Amino acid sequence: MNAGAKTAAVLGGGSWGTALAHVMACNGTKVLLWMRNDERVAEVNERHTNERYLKDRKIHTDVEATADLQRAAEFAETLIVAIPSANFRSVAYELGDFVRGDQILVSATKGFEAEHLTRMSELLREETCCRKIGAISGPNLADEVMDNQPTATVVASPYEEVIEKTAALLAGPTMRVYGNHDIVGVEVHGALKNIIAIAAGMATGMKLGQNASAMLLTRGLAEISRFAEALGADKLTALGLAGLGDLIATCSSPLSRNNTLGRKLSEGLTLAQAQADTVKVAEGVNTTFAAAKHASRLGVDMPITRGIHAVLFDDLSAAEVLSKLMARANRYEHSEFPIDAPHLVEGSVVETALAVAARERGW
Amino acid sequence: MQNTLRDAAIVELRSRVLEACIMQSKLPDGMPLDVLVNDTLYHEKKRLDIDRKSPTRAEDQAFWAGVKAKLSRGSEDDVRDVLAQIIGRFAEEIRGNFSQSLYSVATKVMPKALPILLNAMSPRRLMQRGIPDISDTIVIEGETEAIKKVAKRGTVILTPTHVSNLDSPVIGWAIYALGLPAFTYGAGLNLFSNPMMALFMRNLGAYRVDRLKTAPLYKDVLKEYATVSLEMGNHNLFFPAGTRVRSGKIEQRLKLGLLSSGLKAYINNLQRAKERPNIYIVPATLNYYLVLEAETLIEDHLQREGKSRYIITDDESYLMRKILQFSQNLVNLEARITVRIGDPIDPFGNRVDPDTGASLDRHGREIDIRKYVTDRAGQAVHLPQRDRVYTQEAGESIAREFLRHNVVVATQLTAFTVWEVLKKRHPDLDLYRLVRTGDEGFGIPLGALTEKVMIVWKALHARAERGELHLENGIVQSGDAAGIVRAALRHFGTYHSKPVLTRKGDRVFCEDMKLLHYYSNRLRGYGLERELGQALAAEVTA
Repeated sequence: MNAGAKTAAVLGGGSWGTALAHVMACNGTKVLLWMRNDERVAEVNERHTNERYLKDRKIHTDVEATADLQRAAEFAETLIVAIPSANFRSVAYELGDFVRGDQILVSATKGFEAEHLTRMSELLREETCCRKIGAISGPNLADEVMDNQPTATVVASPYEEVIEKTAALLAGPTMRVYGNHDIVGVEVHGALKNIIAIAAGMATGMKLGQNASAMLLTRGLAEISRFAEALGADKLTALGLAGLGDLIATCSSPLSRNNTLGRKLSEGLTLAQAQADTVKVAEGVNTTFAAAKHASRLGVDMPITRGIHAVLFDDLSAAEVLSKLMARANRYEHSEFPIDAPHLVEGSVVETALAVAARERGW
Repeated sequence: MQNTLRDAAIVELRSRVLEACIMQSKLPDGMPLDVLVNDTLYHEKKRLDIDRKSPTRAEDQAFWAGVKAKLSRGSEDDVRDVLAQIIGRFAEEIRGNFSQSLYSVATKVMPKALPILLNAMSPRRLMQRGIPDISDTIVIEGETEAIKKVAKRGTVILTPTHVSNLDSPVIGWAIYALGLPAFTYGAGLNLFSNPMMALFMRNLGAYRVDRLKTAPLYKDVLKEYATVSLEMGNHNLFFPAGTRVRSGKIEQRLKLGLLSSGLKAYINNLQRAKERPNIYIVPATLNYYLVLEAETLIEDHLQREGKSRYIITDDESYLMRKILQFSQNLVNLEARITVRIGDPIDPFGNRVDPDTGASLDRHGREIDIRKYVTDRAGQAVHLPQRDRVYTQEAGESIAREFLRHNVVVATQLTAFTVWEVLKKRHPDLDLYRLVRTGDEGFGIPLGALTEKVMIVWKALHARAERGELHLENGIVQSGDAAGIVRAALRHFGTYHSKPVLTRKGDRVFCEDMKLLHYYSNRLRGYGLERELGQALAAEVTA
């Protein structure tokens, strides 16, 4: 491990991993970026670009790429892991051979492992000996970050040490960092918003107006925060950068890959066709599958997620799903209780009798 | 803890707590020493107003009056002296009076005394059979070799589940029977006032915990006492639930205050470069067919959250008649108490290889746990916020081990099945209404109950095969559902004021819904409800 100079390692040379490495290097940190592909390693080291993901944007020269996982693992105290959720566990397992208990691991991947709804930080915990684990999430579109546009992100961990040290690496003139102890909420919101982003892409593709997209965002937030709370998240996280903030960014940006996927699906392409011409992984597909699978077990009603699931995996069209959603029973906004269903009788004995009598008269 | 060690512990404890108080008082936002003394005085005066039965009340009142007088006219040095006196007093109170010679006598007497206590046989049967072997009553199983091995490699914290005041003597017996040295443990003062319990506790390394003392300084002294004793290599016994579980469930929310002493002691050991710095936590479960104080505990639980009492001093365990009745029951029904020792873990919640004492990750790779607490220069440091999270994670590991080492007995299995059937029958009733209305005298046909028990047994058996829990050796292990129901009815019909379940003709009736709920709760946390629910729903459809 290097003494003296600030160092960090990033695992995963996709767009977000590379952008994080770039941001930290801009803040005066020596960064080692691990990626599997030797050609791309050479590209980053020689031309300082990662064209496959970030076109011709220039990466800071203090970012060095390597294909040697052991070297990256031993390079720094703090390691940021930005591997697609589908490969996350296997990389974390390999990483487990090299890391030690005093190192900090931070997941920058938004997604779940579908089988048991395992969060990425939980995978790091399961596959390595490390305990000081955190997660980064927020409205951070990689391209904008590379273009030095101002942004803010959330570093979540039960360990203050993780928040402090990661914030020290990331915070700079173009990035503000907020801490949050609610790692469950931050990760769950970060993952689930991708489902709503697919729906938002469909809405755009169907040329729906602003009313529709506002409805989608707010009801989407309502259902994903119900899900997050069922998993133990803090209510307030839904209203923060990792909740509402990320949702707005992802749903309103044509740059978002989930949004793009939704748009293509609404044009009638199948999932395979829609994904065929993109190199970037749309995490929302996996997440929709995982969330739909576990929602009923958790006792959470997720109508929008069910609809997206139907489009992705059951070949329903976006228009069919929209009409089904619009035909649902009208409900109370917070309790989700159907407006026209008979209410549970409550109150004093006399009030109960009056309410029952009124109901019998058809009121 | 031996007396010489105990004296050394007290000296260490006093200076450590006093130093910490002085150090924090110098911080910009620290609590000045006079404020700290006043705060302690306030808590103690409040306690003395409530705790009118305390045998040391007059003495305490005089001491605190003296503190008040000195404080009002004291210089900075006087305040420091007063603080030192308070800490010394708390420390002396906690330490109790351990005597090596009495301990030796007690350990010799216990093997004979405990079976008599627990078996409380009639003189006639005693004449016929002689003093029964305690191992007939208390079965010790699980990772018994592992605990012996780690006890030689470091200091052990044994953390059992806690349902009854009988737990202390039972686990005390298990420690003795396993051939382990005496364990130090903190027992509530209320236990010392119970003559039966005091017999087994006073001289078995117990230190006294007064849960009515709420002064933060007292709690600090208490936690530090446990820490110092661990550092001195004394194995400790903590009940991580803090108090007996009221609901009958396996405790999943643990109190981490005392548990944090383990990590603190480990870091101190590293700082002092101790030869064997390691601390090992060994979870254990205590499994009873019937629980001595079940009626009081569940009653308290159902007082709805917030109203339940933290300390109960008038339950069945304070009534000699009930203890004897309970004990007789144990012998007459050949009921056994199973103590199951779990796998050792480290203070961070990692599992430990008992042969090497090394911590392992989930893939069996060795972990250098010193790294968790060392800084860049390799020095072990305390970081309270970090250490709280580590302890929380260790607590989660203990809770998982509790579930894994739970031993299912016939009473719990049958109670669970009946409760779920009745709940299904009354979907409109919430818990409290269900408890009040019960099964309205309909009962459940014995054959139908046996079938349902079989469904639950199959689900349990599958989990046992996967190592998620254990089935009691004997009738539950055999899978003879009719036999399980018979065993449960036999036990439920004897000890409690009203039989929990009783058979009339070919139907089984519940006569005490609260107790039914209590015993059924032990099987919560495994997702069994869903499997039985699906079977019941299928039945309705059919």
